[in-house]
Amino acid sequence: MKKTRLLILFGIILLLVVIIAYPGRKLARAHVNERTAVTDHPLLCSSCHLYTSQNKYVSKFINEDYLSPFNLDIMNDGEKLLVVAQDANALLVVDTKSKKVLKNINVGIHPHSVIIGKEEKFCYVSNQWSDNISVIHLKTLAVVDTIKTGNGPSGLSISNSGEYLYAVNTFGSDVSVIDLVSKEEIKRISTGSDPTGIALSPKGKNLYVTSRRAKIAPYGDPLISELTLINDNTQRLTKQISVPSAYLMENIAFTPSSDLAIMTLTRPKNLVPSIQVEGGWMMTHGIGIVEQKEDGKIIQLLLDEPNSYYPNPFDIVITPDGKKAFVSSSGVDYISVISMDSIKNILASTPAKKLKLYANTLGISKRFVIKRIKTGANPKGLKLSADGELLYIAENLEDKIGVINTKTLEKEQSIDLGGPTRITVARKGRRLFNNAGHTFQNQYACYTCHPDNHEDGLVYNMAGKDMGRNVTNTQSLREIKGTAPFKWNGKNQTVYKQDGIRFSTVLTRTEQFSYDDLDAITAYIKTGIKYPPNLMNNPSGELTESQYRGKKLFNRSIDNSGKEIPENGRCVTCHPAPFYTNLQLADVGTLSESDDPILFDTPHLNNIYSSAPYLHDGRAETLEEIWTLYGEEDEHGYVNDMTKIQLNDLVAYLKSLRGPEYEKSKPESYANVHLTNK
Amino acid sequence: MIFTRFIKYLKVTVLTIVIFSICFLKFDLNAQNSSIPVFGNWKNFTVKDGLPSDKTYCVRIDGDRVLVGTHDGLAVYENNTWKTYTSEDGLAHNGVLSIDVCKLTGDVWIGTMGGLTRWVSGKFENFNQFNSGMPNDLIYSVICDEKYVWVATGGGAGQYNTHTKKWEIFTEENAPMHEPWTYGVCAGDDNIYIAAWGGGVIEYAKKTKKFRDHVDPDGNMEIDLFPDDGVVHDITTGTSWANGNLWVATYFGLSKYDGVHWKGYFDHDSGLASNFINYVKAEGSVAYLCTDKGLSCTDGTNWVTYTKNKNNVNGKVVFTKGENIKEITMSPSISHNFTLGVDIKKDVIWVATSKGISRGELKK
Repeated sequence: MKKTRLLILFGIILLLVVIIAYPGRKLARAHVNERTAVTDHPLLCSSCHLYTSQNKYVSKFINEDYLSPFNLDIMNDGEKLLVVAQDANALLVVDTKSKKVLKNINVGIHPHSVIIGKEEKFCYVSNQWSDNISVIHLKTLAVVDTIKTGNGPSGLSISNSGEYLYAVNTFGSDVSVIDLVSKEEIKRISTGSDPTGIALSPKGKNLYVTSRRAKIAPYGDPLISELTLINDNTQRLTKQISVPSAYLMENIAFTPSSDLAIMTLTRPKNLVPSIQVEGGWMMTHGIGIVEQKEDGKIIQLLLDEPNSYYPNPFDIVITPDGKKAFVSSSGVDYISVISMDSIKNILASTPAKKLKLYANTLGISKRFVIKRIKTGANPKGLKLSADGELLYIAENLEDKIGVINTKTLEKEQSIDLGGPTRITVARKGRRLFNNAGHTFQNQYACYTCHPDNHEDGLVYNMAGKDMGRNVTNTQSLREIKGTAPFKWNGKNQTVYKQDGIRFSTVLTRTEQFSYDDLDAITAYIKTGIKYPPNLMNNPSGELTESQYRGKKLFNRSIDNSGKEIPENGRCVTCHPAPFYTNLQLADVGTLSESDDPILFDTPHLNNIYSSAPYLHDGRAETLEEIWTLYGEEDEHGYVNDMTKIQLNDLVAYLKSLRGPEYEKSKPESYANVHLTNK
Repeated sequence: MIFTRFIKYLKVTVLTIVIFSICFLKFDLNAQNSSIPVFGNWKNFTVKDGLPSDKTYCVRIDGDRVLVGTHDGLAVYENNTWKTYTSEDGLAHNGVLSIDVCKLTGDVWIGTMGGLTRWVSGKFENFNQFNSGMPNDLIYSVICDEKYVWVATGGGAGQYNTHTKKWEIFTEENAPMHEPWTYGVCAGDDNIYIAAWGGGVIEYAKKTKKFRDHVDPDGNMEIDLFPDDGVVHDITTGTSWANGNLWVATYFGLSKYDGVHWKGYFDHDSGLASNFINYVKAEGSVAYLCTDKGLSCTDGTNWVTYTKNKNNVNGKVVFTKGENIKEITMSPSISHNFTLGVDIKKDVIWVATSKGISRGELKK
C-alpha cells in the first residue's frame, strides 16, 4: 500500500516534470517570444519577473541605494569637497587629502547643485524635487535654513556682491533671485526653456543661463535654443541670444579674462530621417563659444571625431590661467581636454563664414582637443581646485569622484564615496541608458533624446528613407511600466520589443543589445525611472477649485445643453486613472498626410504638463491647442460646447495629474473637503 | 498843482492796483493749480517724424525710452529716434492698445488687438486665446501687479501668474459683471479694479479673492440722476488708483472714489474737457483724463485742460477752479484733441492722440 502511494507520488512528480519540461516550456517559449518579439531570448523568468518587480521586499532585495554624485564644489583651501549625492538626497562632505567622506548631510529631494557662499560661511544646495534650497552652515555642517524657490531649482550662482543667490528653475524656465539676508526670493526672471547652467562673469557683470530645450516650433522649422543674459547689478534680463541648431546646453563657464564664455551643447538633426544614423552626423556634440566683445558671435565647434563621437557633453570648467578647458563627455565616460590657445587661434584665424561651417565639421576637434581622459561611468559635474591643479569629476554612476592632475593630464586615485559595490541589473541598465556605446560610432545615448529619462521636446522623422514622413514627438520614459503598448503606433507590446532588434535596425544602427544588456535596460526603464513631483500644479494632491471643476468635465457624460455625450467622446473613457490611458489604439482625427494610415496609441497623461509639445507629431504647442486648434470636430473628446473658463478648468485638471504612484495614494481632494462640508 | 498831485495819486493808486492785481492773480492761479503740474513746450510726433501711424492708442515711459502703441505697431522712442516693431518682428498684432512694464523684472507687456505680448530683451512671446488660457485676444488694458499680469479684454478679465504660468478668467460666469466686455484694469490698495462695460467697476480683493461691484445706483443710462451716489455710469472705460483714490472714466463723466464716498465730475460743472473719457491715469493726487476734446488734469478741485485749435497747431491751456477760469494760449499745443493715452514721469508728459503723439515739459 505504501509502495503504491510512493509510486503514485512519483508518477505525479514525473508528470509535472514532463508538463514543465515539454508543454510548459513550450508555453513559456511562446510567452517569451511574444514578449520579446524574438525566438531566441533566454528562458529566464527572473529577467521579467524579478528584476522588474516593484514589490517593495523583492525590490529591496535586488536593488541597492546608490549615491549618484551629480555636482560638486570645493573650499578655497582645497581641503573639502562638497558633493551632491542625487539619489541619496544628501550632500557629502569629503576630505580631499584622506579621500574620505566626513559627513553625509540630508538635504531635500533630488538635489542638483551646490555652491559655496562668498565668505565660505554657508553653502547652498538646490533641491530640484523639493523646490527649495538647503542652507548649510559650513562649520557645523548642518542645514540651518530652507529657502523657497521656483519650480525645479538646479544651477546656482552667487552675485558679485555676495548678497544674492541665483537659482535656475529648470521646470519653471526662470531664475529665482534670492536675498541672502532675508533668505527670501525677491523676483523671478524668465529664461529660455528648461534652463540649468548659470555662470557669472569674473568681472561680475553678466550672468549667462543656458537652456536645455529648444523653442517649440512646427516640424520643419530650424531648431533654436536660447541663452539668457542677466545683468547682475540690475538683476534684469538684458538679452535672449538665439543659438541655432543646438539644444541640451547644459552648462557654461567664462574664461578668467572674461573674453569668452563657453557652453556645452548638442546639435540634433531631428529633421533628417533617423535611418540616416549610419551615414553619421545624426547627433553631434560640442561647445558653443560666446564672444564677449561688442557684436560678438557664438561659434559652435564639435568635440566629436569623424568615426567616434563624444555625446552628451555636460559640464565645462576652465583653468585659472585660461589655458585649458575640461568637458565631461558623459555619454562615453571621457573628459575632453581643450587647449584654449588653440580655440583662440581658430577664432582669430578663421573667416566668419568658415567658422559657421565648423559647427558641422567633425574633424575640427583634432585642432583643439589635446587629450581624452577615461573616467568612471557617466561623468557629470566638474570642479577645479582653486589653484587649478586638480580637476574633480562627479562620476554619477560610479559613486566616485574622479581626480585628474591638470598639468600631467593623468588620472589620480579616485575618491570612493562609499556607495554599494554591487552593480545591480537596473544599475547596469542605467549605465547603458546613459552610454552611447551601443549606438553607431557612439553618436548618442538613450539619454540624448530622453534627458532626465524624459523627452527632449523635439519631433523626429522616424520614416525609412522618405523625408518628412511619420514625424513623431519624443515620448517620456518616466514610469511607463504599466502603459504598454509603446510607440505612437502601439506596435511594441513590451520594452523588450521596443529596445530589441528593431531598435538597433532603426535607431542605433549597430549590434543589438545583448540579451543580458536588454534585460538590464528593460529593468531600469521599468523600475528605475520616477516622475518628479508635480509641485507647480499639484503639490499636495488636493485639487484646487478650478482643477476640481476640470475633473468633473473630464469625467462628464452630459454636455452643457444636457445631451448625453457618446462614450467615446468622454475624456475618461480613453484616459482612465491611474495612467490615464486605456492602453488602446484610437483615431482622434489627427492623422496627417505625412502619416502612414494608422491608429494611435492612447498616451498616458501622468505629468502631462511637462511634455509639450502635444499630439503624436507635436503639432499642438500647448494643451489648449489640442482643442482650440486641432479639436474642431470633437473627435478628440467632446469639448466644443465648453466655455473658455471650462476649457481652462479642464487644462488645469490635466496639468494637475501626477505620477501613478502619487495618484494611488491621494489625500483629500477638493471634492471630499468641500462637498462634504456643504 | 492839484492836477499834478492828482496825477501822482492816480499813478500810485494804479500802480497799487496793478501790483495787487498781479499778486492776487498769481495767488489765485497758484491756488487753482497748487497740486497740478502744468506742461508746455509741446513737441508733436507723427508719421513724418518716424511714427508708424498717426493713430496712437497708448504710451508708456520706460526709463530713457518711450513706448507708444499705434495702429501699425509698437513705436519706441529712444535717443531721439523712433523704431517700430510689428507682427513681422514677433508682436502678436500691430494694433497696440495698452502697454505696461513690470517694475520687478522690466518685462514689457503689450496688449494688442490680437493677443498679449511679453517683450523682453528684444524677444516677443505671445499669448492668445488659442494657445493659452487667456480670455480673449482683444486686449484693451494690461497691467503688471507684482508677479501677476492682468488684462481687460473683449471676453472678460484675465489674471496671469508669471510664476506658475497659469491663467484665471473672470467673466459674467464667475464675477458680478454685466457682460464679459472689460475695458480697463488697475491695481491699488490690495484690490484690482476692473472697468466692466455696462457693469461699472468690479473690485477684486487680492487677499480674499472675492468680488464686489460698484454700479451706478440710479441705473439711468442717459444722465446721472443723483450726483455723488456712486459711479456716474455703468459703462466704464478705465480705472486708475493712486493716493487712496480710485478714478473711474466713463463716456458720461468722471468718478472719484476714496473708499467711502463717490464724487462725480462732468464737463458742465467742472473743468473737464468732455464727458467722453477714453482713458484715465492717476499719478499722486492728480488724475489725467484723455477725452475726445482734449486732455484734462484734476485733483478733484482744480482743473487744467489742454486743447488744440481746429485750424492750426496752437491751442490753449485752461485753468478752472469753481467759477474761476483762466486761459493761456500755447504754441504749439497737443497734437490732437482726441486723446487716448497719457503717461507722466517727473518733468515730462506724453499724450497719445488720434493724430500723433505729444510730448510736454513741466513749466516751472
